[in-house]
Amino acid sequence: MVQTEFNPFKMAQDQFNRAAEFLGLDSATCELLRTPIREYQFSIPVRMDDGNAKIFRGFRVLHNDARGPGKGGIRFHPQETIDTVRALSMWMTWKCAVVDIPLGGGKGGVICDPHSLSLREQELICRGYVRQMWNNLGPAVDVPAPDVMTSAQHMLWMLDEYEVISGEKKPGFITGKPVGLGGSLGRKEATGYGVVFTIREALKELGIKAENTTASVQGFGNVAQYAIELYQQMGGTVVCVSCWDQKDQVSYSFRKKSGVDLKELLGITDPFGGIEIDKALDLGYEKLPGDAWLEQDVDILIPAALENQITADNVDKVSANVKIMAEGANGPTTPDADEVLKKNNVFVIPDFLANAGGVTCSYFEQVQSNINYFWDKDDVLGRLDLKMTSAFQAVSQLAKKKNLFMRDAAYFISVDRVARACKDRGWV
Amino acid sequence: MLKEFDRQFFGSADRLTYIGSGELGGKAGGLVYIRDFLERDFDPQAIPQIEVSIPIMTVITTDMFDKFMERNDLYEVASSDARDDQIALAFQQASLPVELVGDLRALISKVHQPLAIRSSSLLEDTVNEPFAGVYSTKMIPNNQPDPDVRFQKLVEAIKFVYSSTYFKSAKNYSRATSNLSSDEKMAVIIQEVVGCRFGNRFYPHVSGVARSYNFYPSGHAKPEDGVVNLALGLGKTVVDGGKCWIYSPAYPRTNPPYKSISDMLKQTQTSFWAVNMGKPPAFDPIHETEYLVEGDLHDAEVNGSLYYTASTYDPQNDKLTVGTGLPGPRVLTIAPSLMVRDIPLNNLLKNLLELSENALQNEVEIEFALSLHPEYGLPARLGFLQVRPMSVSDAKVEVTDDELSASNALVASKVVIGNGTEESISDIVYVKPQAFDAKNTNKIASDLIEFVNRLADDDRKYMLITLGRLGTSDPWMGVPVEFSEVAGAKVIVESTAPGMNVELSQGSHFFHNIIGMHILYFTVQHTGDFPVKWDWLDRQASVVETDNVRHVRLASPLLVKVDGRAGRGVVLV
Repeated sequence: MVQTEFNPFKMAQDQFNRAAEFLGLDSATCELLRTPIREYQFSIPVRMDDGNAKIFRGFRVLHNDARGPGKGGIRFHPQETIDTVRALSMWMTWKCAVVDIPLGGGKGGVICDPHSLSLREQELICRGYVRQMWNNLGPAVDVPAPDVMTSAQHMLWMLDEYEVISGEKKPGFITGKPVGLGGSLGRKEATGYGVVFTIREALKELGIKAENTTASVQGFGNVAQYAIELYQQMGGTVVCVSCWDQKDQVSYSFRKKSGVDLKELLGITDPFGGIEIDKALDLGYEKLPGDAWLEQDVDILIPAALENQITADNVDKVSANVKIMAEGANGPTTPDADEVLKKNNVFVIPDFLANAGGVTCSYFEQVQSNINYFWDKDDVLGRLDLKMTSAFQAVSQLAKKKNLFMRDAAYFISVDRVARACKDRGWV
Repeated sequence: MLKEFDRQFFGSADRLTYIGSGELGGKAGGLVYIRDFLERDFDPQAIPQIEVSIPIMTVITTDMFDKFMERNDLYEVASSDARDDQIALAFQQASLPVELVGDLRALISKVHQPLAIRSSSLLEDTVNEPFAGVYSTKMIPNNQPDPDVRFQKLVEAIKFVYSSTYFKSAKNYSRATSNLSSDEKMAVIIQEVVGCRFGNRFYPHVSGVARSYNFYPSGHAKPEDGVVNLALGLGKTVVDGGKCWIYSPAYPRTNPPYKSISDMLKQTQTSFWAVNMGKPPAFDPIHETEYLVEGDLHDAEVNGSLYYTASTYDPQNDKLTVGTGLPGPRVLTIAPSLMVRDIPLNNLLKNLLELSENALQNEVEIEFALSLHPEYGLPARLGFLQVRPMSVSDAKVEVTDDELSASNALVASKVVIGNGTEESISDIVYVKPQAFDAKNTNKIASDLIEFVNRLADDDRKYMLITLGRLGTSDPWMGVPVEFSEVAGAKVIVESTAPGMNVELSQGSHFFHNIIGMHILYFTVQHTGDFPVKWDWLDRQASVVETDNVRHVRLASPLLVKVDGRAGRGVVLV
């Protein structure tokens, strides 16, 4: 689905420009916020299992840290580019600002395909990444986290390397750690649950009961799985999920009109969210093309895979019955597709609001790690719900007050908060 | 119609709200039901000095309980033989449903005053199976400046109430009422506590229970006049059967039938319960009274809360003077004291009883708390806390004088509760009077529980004859069992004994359960006209016995007759 000509950074800049224009930002502030404040590109040499050395390319971008230390994941992806990382770091800035947590925006990545790497090779990439970047990361500087195709294990290798180099125990260096080793309870659920908290609030605004709704989900990774779990617990029915098939190198959608059984699907899913086709068919699922998730006649669409998935080319396939699109992934909708959704009165919960549960819980983990005292799950998820709900309501109220599309309202709130922080610090 | 919780507790337009999509449970359902009648039929201008309302509350419906149980795999430990504290601990270690915690956090972040976390199970407060006092209520001071701490305490209290669904007493009760504890579901009420802060204590000036039907009328009072129990402080004193002021709403100035003023000094309330707003107690989330504190009359006087509720004893003239203007021992003569201060509580209670009877089409019992203006008394606020139907049988049973004094009358009494005839009991468990000593009542209780548990296992109902007050929390006044532990009894006889001339069992919950479960209840004076025929009992072959307790099984069943209207009953062999 990823189109090579698509440049997410340009898209992020266009989105920023609209907000800057609306807010009437001065040119210096615009210039400061339109580009990352710092970025690093480096090589990570790794001795592979076959004895050969291989060089992996790594990135770390800090878009803005006026509101606090940088925060953002490290992605392992074969098609990673610096522009993707730049865009994602900018979105992290807005995301932290929209949920009003005291963090800036960062992002990192390594061009690699973990599916074709052994665990040892992945560990060496993690440790190599930290050796290159350790002096520019840290609890008070820039705090990494798991992201696409990285997990708690990767974070733990990175933390270990950092602590070896720095000679100190600093669990606040990184988030997404395993529970019991500095991780926070609720972290694995946070992004998916956060998506559904915003869906719940949107349903309230639309006067619809969750139990009367259906949904279709793109992706079956961590975000999608927990979003499905909570949405089903609220009474909703998920009829379709899509996922990437590693063997065929394409995505497929799996549909069960009576509603997918989450536990059943999890039983036939690999660690990266790939569903075993034969077993799914045996369980009565229909196998459909990868794009089919978008065409389902449902109330709610949840794109929770990669960026640039809903474009001008396929947005017309979205059913007229769709009332809500909650962007669990980062940047899944292109601006031109966005215009069509706007015209069709689809209530879009923009990515950096809908999926901010992850970074919010990462922030909670960071706080817990820094004070070395850990909260129970009730505490974490209660705080998360409150943060997400407050953020949703702030955006929704501005959208209603100024007659704005939700994405624009979210941008305006976030950009305004960051711009004010830059001004207050005397930067511009 | 109840409105969904909108994350505002005090700020919401709706005083009664819910979280979840399940059921409200009996207690909350009763309050929601009566609210509509209060809004429609109660004239606030009739007694404008006292504002009447159901305290602000949010109900967590039963589906959240189901989710809590399922997602934490708690059914196994809940149905096990684990001790109450082990069950409570397992529940504390579990996580509340994610759908709930955000609402709780929002609620607690804006509320800084004491809250009552109350059970409201599906079976609670139904007519025939009242489950009164079987489940736990926990009060929390909620005055910690840190919202994280307040949230934590709220969560602990909810989990504690959830866990009480599976405590031993609840399981016993379910067994006695042929319910399965696995069928029970718990809703939880989060409710503001009505009262005032007095230093480090928070409590209402008066709390009480009013019933529209009185099983123990005295003097000129008739059963239909009803009865009111009043106490200083939290209602725990009344519902647990502590000393309180009992009067007929028809004769509010009439003192209870104490033999003398000195008797009154001994028998009236001398301590009260309050929410502890001061130094945090030791961490003990699995204990119902973690945040409660007991005070005495001196504490209440220092707080200034006796002014409206107490009289003073003048030993020189051996008389009582209403108020606390004179030095001397204070006596909590609540009803007449309020009247002297022109606080029209009695008229208000009569109105509320009538309204509740009409609403439920039944005899009723209501619980309330009254908070007075600290300086002037009025205006005051009455929090309507609970309403339950009372089960009063109208079967016509006649017990003649001849039957009372018949040679085959094992037990006879002119002080009984209940109404009807029972002809299926052939098991009698009794406390042996010869060996009875008040210092052994804890041992007696454990023997007795062991015996009745065996009967419950065999699904056999029985008659229980005990000495002193049954179900008392004070082992010097009787056998300290919980109601649930003897809920399989169809007939209960309380007899006085030498050195143990105590009043009847008066605990509101105990009393309500006896009525609700149609237990026939006798009080016998060992020095009266109809003492228990212990000799006859001792001659029957025992199934099992210890030094203190004996179980006999008769060849043919007893005939038990109780005439509730005339207040007399007999057990014929």
